[in-house]
Amino acid sequence: MTTMTAQTTQVYQLFIRATPEQVWDAITKSEFTTRYFFASKVEMSNGRRRAYGPDGELWGDSAILEEDPPRRLVHEWQGLYDPELAEEETSRVTWEIEPREGGYCKLTLVHDQLEGAPKTAESVAGGWMLVLSGLKTLLETGEPLVG
Amino acid sequence: MDDDQVFKALADPTRRHLLDRLFERDGRTLTELESELEMTRFGVMKHLRILEVAGLVVTRRQGREKLHYLNPVPIRLIHDRWIDKYTERRVSALLDLKKELEETG
Repeated sequence: MTTMTAQTTQVYQLFIRATPEQVWDAITKSEFTTRYFFASKVEMSNGRRRAYGPDGELWGDSAILEEDPPRRLVHEWQGLYDPELAEEETSRVTWEIEPREGGYCKLTLVHDQLEGAPKTAESVAGGWMLVLSGLKTLLETGEPLVG
Repeated sequence: MDDDQVFKALADPTRRHLLDRLFERDGRTLTELESELEMTRFGVMKHLRILEVAGLVVTRRQGREKLHYLNPVPIRLIHDRWIDKYTERRVSALLDLKKELEETG
């Protein structure tokens, strides 16, 4: 997505061989996120979703808008890991987990309300892809995605 | 989920064209997509359905409209599974060749 203006609503969807509870834990608990989410430690408490980098630096601190385990999580997004992104307007991330036949889940991630955050939109376009394929690999093989 | 469906979906110029249109601008209605193709509404619907089954297009409802989004994840997974594997070997073969030539040269 380098030559085009990045989309203001981005949709990512994939199937993961795991239960909804496993997917939920993997996106909300730091012992999992450190293994696929750019090594970030995600903590959800008191209506906030916070993400910390490997050295404890604050990478994200945003409001949780909806929390319905293990099906749906909606939170705001602001990239504090980069000063240019931190200046932009807040956007929104929605995770939807749907159980499917054969022990699979359909995971849909929608990152929208990016109208006031063009740099964030461009930055996350490749990022989500790495995060989601890493999440799939971790849940299906127990190993982080290498490379 | 199924590589066969992704390859099959990509093996058609109209469907690749639809993906390119969505890559340029996402979240389009059937009517919008149809207006850019010389094809019946039914034909476009049929192609979109194949793309949707393969997971390359995801639809979301917004009010009364059904919007179509490009989902890049299956292409990424195919890339990880097929492209990386072969290009990695080619790159390492070139590196081996370079090393060998430099050592003997």
